[in-house]
Amino acid sequence: MTMTFDMKEIVNGVIKGKIDEVKALAEQALSEGISPEEISSQGLVVGMDAVGERWKNDEMFMPEVLRSAKAMSSGMDVIRDQLAEKDNQVGTMVIGTVEGDLHDIGKDLAAMMFEGAGYKVVNLGVDQPSEVFIEAVKEHRPQLLGISALLTTTMPRMGDIINELKEAGIREQVTVIIGGAPVTDDFSESIGADIYAPNARSGVERAREFFKKKSAESGSN
Amino acid sequence: MNLTENRTPHFEVLSDDQKETIYNGMIKTLNTTGANVHHEGARELLYSHGCDVDGIRVRIPPQLVLRALASAPPVTEIFCWDGDLRKKILVERGRSYFGPGPTPPNFIDPDTLERRPYLRKDATTVARVCDALPNIGFVQSLGSINDVTGPLADIYEFADMIRNTTTPVMSWSFAREGCRDQHRMAIAMAGGEENFKRRPNYIFYGEPISPLVSDFHAIDKCMYCAEHRVPQVYSPCSIGGGTVPATHAGQLVVALSESMVGVVVAQLLNPGTSIIIGGVQSILDMRHSIYSYGAPELSILSAAMTEMAHYCGLPMYSTSGCTDTKKMDVQSAMEAAFSINAAMMSGADFVHDNGYTESGITGDVFQTVMDDELIGMARIIENGVEVTEETMAVDVICNGGPGGHYLHEDHTMKWFKTDWTPTLMERGSYEDWVAEGKTSMKDWILAKTRDLIANHEGPREKVPEEADEALEEILKEAEARVAQGAPETKAG
Repeated sequence: MTMTFDMKEIVNGVIKGKIDEVKALAEQALSEGISPEEISSQGLVVGMDAVGERWKNDEMFMPEVLRSAKAMSSGMDVIRDQLAEKDNQVGTMVIGTVEGDLHDIGKDLAAMMFEGAGYKVVNLGVDQPSEVFIEAVKEHRPQLLGISALLTTTMPRMGDIINELKEAGIREQVTVIIGGAPVTDDFSESIGADIYAPNARSGVERAREFFKKKSAESGSN
Repeated sequence: MNLTENRTPHFEVLSDDQKETIYNGMIKTLNTTGANVHHEGARELLYSHGCDVDGIRVRIPPQLVLRALASAPPVTEIFCWDGDLRKKILVERGRSYFGPGPTPPNFIDPDTLERRPYLRKDATTVARVCDALPNIGFVQSLGSINDVTGPLADIYEFADMIRNTTTPVMSWSFAREGCRDQHRMAIAMAGGEENFKRRPNYIFYGEPISPLVSDFHAIDKCMYCAEHRVPQVYSPCSIGGGTVPATHAGQLVVALSESMVGVVVAQLLNPGTSIIIGGVQSILDMRHSIYSYGAPELSILSAAMTEMAHYCGLPMYSTSGCTDTKKMDVQSAMEAAFSINAAMMSGADFVHDNGYTESGITGDVFQTVMDDELIGMARIIENGVEVTEETMAVDVICNGGPGGHYLHEDHTMKWFKTDWTPTLMERGSYEDWVAEGKTSMKDWILAKTRDLIANHEGPREKVPEEADEALEEILKEAEARVAQGAPETKAG
């Protein structure tokens, strides 16, 4: 069979943030017999890596990066179910803003960035009580749990959720990443979160580093 | 001959047509889309006056906005609790009052100059320093206290601040309880409820969430203030390109709509109660995803919003003197100077955040001290040129004739002191500068601020004993309430 499909189209579609086009291209690639693994690693991921590079170099700005992340995610939705478990490395993220806090822009930014990194993101929304976070972790078994708070009054709820994860015996199942303007490294450590993301750009990077370090550690054991 | 009319120079960024168009955009937004109001009582009130209520969504008809604007007072007076009329705030067109801002989690330690969590003692420091600064017209704390019983940080801050400055305080609270406790404290400081009603001695600050959300506590506190005629600010932090459109005109429409929900609720509850709109109007930095406090867009948006507030007949709560830098440096001075001058020239009534650094994450009283100097400079521009026979001094000029000088003239003796006298800016000779150790602006700011902290005692000793006791009692009661685990106001 002659391969007519040009993977560069997916790469460019992601870079240019063409949401519908990337979805259609992923479907076309699948129908032409290209493996989901290849669509991901040679197309979507290559595109998003280029976006990350351009963002770092100030050649792209956040709204463009988010559009690219959306495009990447629309392609991932096409192939996710068919990706072999071992290739679907990044997995699922559950994210939400704590009870009493109606601020959503920071949390939504982070959600989109993680979608752009290939995560399937379950966005719980704002003003969510601890139980909703716990139930979502049980139901979706995510690799990452993202908790957001903007108010100094609602920040402690992030610690409550971590404690309730422990009580439910599922703390070890999930890596907890927290963010929000008043959050600091010290606070993150004090409540026992795994990762603190000071902004949208760093969240994905810090998560990647965390998992890399973790797998290196478990490899050496 | 009267040549003094309109002698205060202000710039205008919007034409009358543009203002009307933006105003109509707000009317349309509130009427067709409305806002989410997370407060059953507020929704019932709005519904009973003709709003369309669908779940938490409230659509406000134009006539209700018009009615609210007709009853909101354009002029308000805020008094100093000690009766000193020199620091009285008179909110009316042509007067601008500058102050710090509320609630950053961090503070620049006055001794170490390092960033650390904001502590209770910092509220006193900020109040006392501001008490001594001639160009600071109202006081906010520059932080949210970290080392007291968590839910009571708001009232500890207020109790400490109002006793350490006679400059009117602008307070904030988490919920109605704190709002009420502060009101009780202010009544004690005023010497009774009747005195407070006649001479309100503080302003309350509340904030809806952009875009178009009034959360329970924001509107609940707004209602408390309206019911008790506590002058209040109800204004959002709208983030250009984030929570509102990336275009300035779009931002103004949303920001105006967000504030207007509070104006309508307050005026329905108690027509004539004082309410101020505006807020932080700036952009999302699309490189670093921060809400920029140093962007020039903050200045143009704030100036335009000031014109919209005044178009609506309401006072404006604007923003200046703030920076995105982490430490006092050239950038922090550049950004502060730029926004202070723009805010002054825009004719905003209240201008806050003088002393905000790190994009609103860290309060810095050294920045406030620097800003005080800049506000003094900007005021010289705002004062304009007074043209009268006396100031034209044609007689003096003709008497003097060509050559010579004016140094010893009676006219000079009378007038030269109206020039601005720097307290920080250095204008000495090179030789003096070397002899004094080649110091820089940073050294002078540190020295002046630390001198005020060490030596300006403020009015703490003048607080009447019964008022002092009343404040302590209110704090004790609040501690007991929290210790008993009394439910705080529950959102609904």
